[in-house]
Amino acid sequence: MIEIIGVTKSFSTDCSEVRAVDDVHFTVNRGEFVLILGRSGSGKSTLLGMLSGLTRPTAGTILLNGMDISELSDDAISELRAKEIGFVFQLSGLILTINALENVMLPTLFCPDYPGSDSRAADLLTKVGMSERACAYPSTLSSGEMKRVAIARALVNAPSLLIADEPTGDLDEATEQEIMELFRQLNREGTTIMMVTHNSDLIRYATHTYRMTQGNLIKSDGALSPRLTLEPRTNVNDKVSS
Amino acid sequence: MVPVVNTGKWSEKITAQLNFFKLVARNIANRPYRNLATIFAIAIIAATLFSAFYLIGGAQESLDAGISRMGADILVVPEEYSSAAQTVILMGEPNSFFFKDAGFEQIAGIPGVAKASLQIYVGSLAGQSCCSAPVQIIAIDPEHDFTVSPWLKENPGVMLGKDDIIVGNMIVGDIGSDLKFYGHTFHIAGRLAKTGMGVDMAVFMRTEDAYVMADESPVKAVQRVTIPRGMVSAVLVKVDPSASPTGVAEKIRTQIPGTKTITPNGLLNAVSVQLGAITRLLYSSMLAVTFISIPLLAFISAMVANERRKEVAILRALGAKKTYVMGLMLAESFSLAIMGGILGICAAMVVFVGFEDLIAFSLKIPFIAPPLLTILADACLTLVLCIGIGGISSLYPAIIIARSEPYETIRKGES
Ligand SMILES: Nc1ncnc2c1ncn2[C@@H]1O[C@H](COP(=O)(O)OP(=O)(O)OP(=O)(O)O)[C@@H](O)[C@H]1O
Ligand SMILES: [Mg+2]
Repeated sequence: MIEIIGVTKSFSTDCSEVRAVDDVHFTVNRGEFVLILGRSGSGKSTLLGMLSGLTRPTAGTILLNGMDISELSDDAISELRAKEIGFVFQLSGLILTINALENVMLPTLFCPDYPGSDSRAADLLTKVGMSERACAYPSTLSSGEMKRVAIARALVNAPSLLIADEPTGDLDEATEQEIMELFRQLNREGTTIMMVTHNSDLIRYATHTYRMTQGNLIKSDGALSPRLTLEPRTNVNDKVSS
Repeated sequence: MVPVVNTGKWSEKITAQLNFFKLVARNIANRPYRNLATIFAIAIIAATLFSAFYLIGGAQESLDAGISRMGADILVVPEEYSSAAQTVILMGEPNSFFFKDAGFEQIAGIPGVAKASLQIYVGSLAGQSCCSAPVQIIAIDPEHDFTVSPWLKENPGVMLGKDDIIVGNMIVGDIGSDLKFYGHTFHIAGRLAKTGMGVDMAVFMRTEDAYVMADESPVKAVQRVTIPRGMVSAVLVKVDPSASPTGVAEKIRTQIPGTKTITPNGLLNAVSVQLGAITRLLYSSMLAVTFISIPLLAFISAMVANERRKEVAILRALGAKKTYVMGLMLAESFSLAIMGGILGICAAMVVFVGFEDLIAFSLKIPFIAPPLLTILADACLTLVLCIGIGGISSLYPAIIIARSEPYETIRKGES
């Protein structure tokens, strides 16, 4: 589904050049649940941004469903984002002038043929535990609540690929668990998920885990099979450190 | 996993789908301060534009009405009084002047002249019960007249009999009541429609009655008035449909020395000079207001640029095409422009309806309210211009959209 070939993204600032992503190669197949761990500033968000076509790589190629996204028109990428990709930003990114439910419905505006969006939006808000605050404006929500609305929004168009940048970063353990269960269910139903997190406890939900260090992506789940989700965490960490 | 429940009362509130227009409406409604500022700025532009159109249109309308009331193609006046005559017709500043009517027979005989009639202009005294300022008394010869007579024919109940007067629209006094001029009592027999020109402040009477009034004035009035017999102030001429008014006017001037001719076209020109100054003033204030408002609008949109940029980035990241976001911003600007435009036009209308006469009087232009259709056309033109200005003010968000690197904005955003 996603193929990343030698992708590099560098930023030149006044005093130095930062290689946020440095010659990364990797492949994500349909139906995988990929988790990316890594220290702050290691380039995780930048990588996800390039995957969704929101920012372009300095070098390298990104193939989405076999298409080189650098060759797609702006409109075509927009359409792809609207229909196929659900994105949860690291910062929730809600529109302030509309309420929670309307924020969830927002992506349905960009693919008009999508049916029954309002009831689906309401269902999703319930699933993320936000049904009580459906009519609340973002400025009145806590950051964890905003994050949950953003998660519902990312799912409203039933994307085949969910890209989530620290979706549970602001959440308590119980809510995090609920969200992760929701993701797992979606994954079982066929949604490919790429998720960034700082919480290595979540590795058990993933089919593949990667670790990012200074722009380099290293596969860290060698033997981890798709359904071995209850494999003890220490086991995984051993493999990472080895 | 939280079970899917969809039974709470909140779910009933969400029957309405989110759509493009709702999004625009929400964006406007939920940013009241910025939007009120924008609407207000556009309202000022609209009020200025509309006022200019309205005043210029009203002056034009007034000229047309006044000239058709005059009913003549040519007005022959003594050479030295031609500018006084113009003032009488345009602004109703009363004057008295005479020249020997010896030429009258001669004028009637000039080829191309279909009808000719005499008028005598006498200024009334100040302080009449009817009026705050002196009025123009115009004595006509009902037998030959074609200025007031056609109007009389249209109003069959009205007759200009002995001591009757027909008053201009601005003269105070009910029909049937009495008015005194130079001590002589007249009855108001009819009232003319409004023209915005001098005739609104004029009083028409029969020549015989005017002579009687003048003869009695040394006894009855505080100040005597003399109307020399055999003298007239003006000869009104209607030309044959086949003849050209300018050609006939030329013949009159050459054949009867000491006369000057005034034609509606000439009047129009005279007025346009006067109107021109006001028009220029109006147009330049229009320009000034517009040029001040555009940076103001730009400033208002720059104030919210950050929020705007973030909003654009989020929409783009969620899959909105550039054209969609562009359309959203334009629809928002246009809605604000239309609201501001309508507000400005309504405010200007309210002022005009309330203070129309005062405004026209202080601008010293002939004026009557233009017909509804003209007002509507002016309002539409104003709205179109406002939308244009609104479009300019949405250039800024458009540039943001065109240059947007959505991800950069989202990374930096705090929301
Ligand atoms: N626009 C930019 N200009 C300059 N440097 C940038 C820019 N965007 C990202 N970087 C740099 O690239 C590096 C990677 O940033 P990125 O946001 O991808 O990190 P991250 O792994 O998501 O970190 P975190 O876990 O804190 O979210 C950082 O050093 C950051 O400073
Ligand atoms: Mg990040």
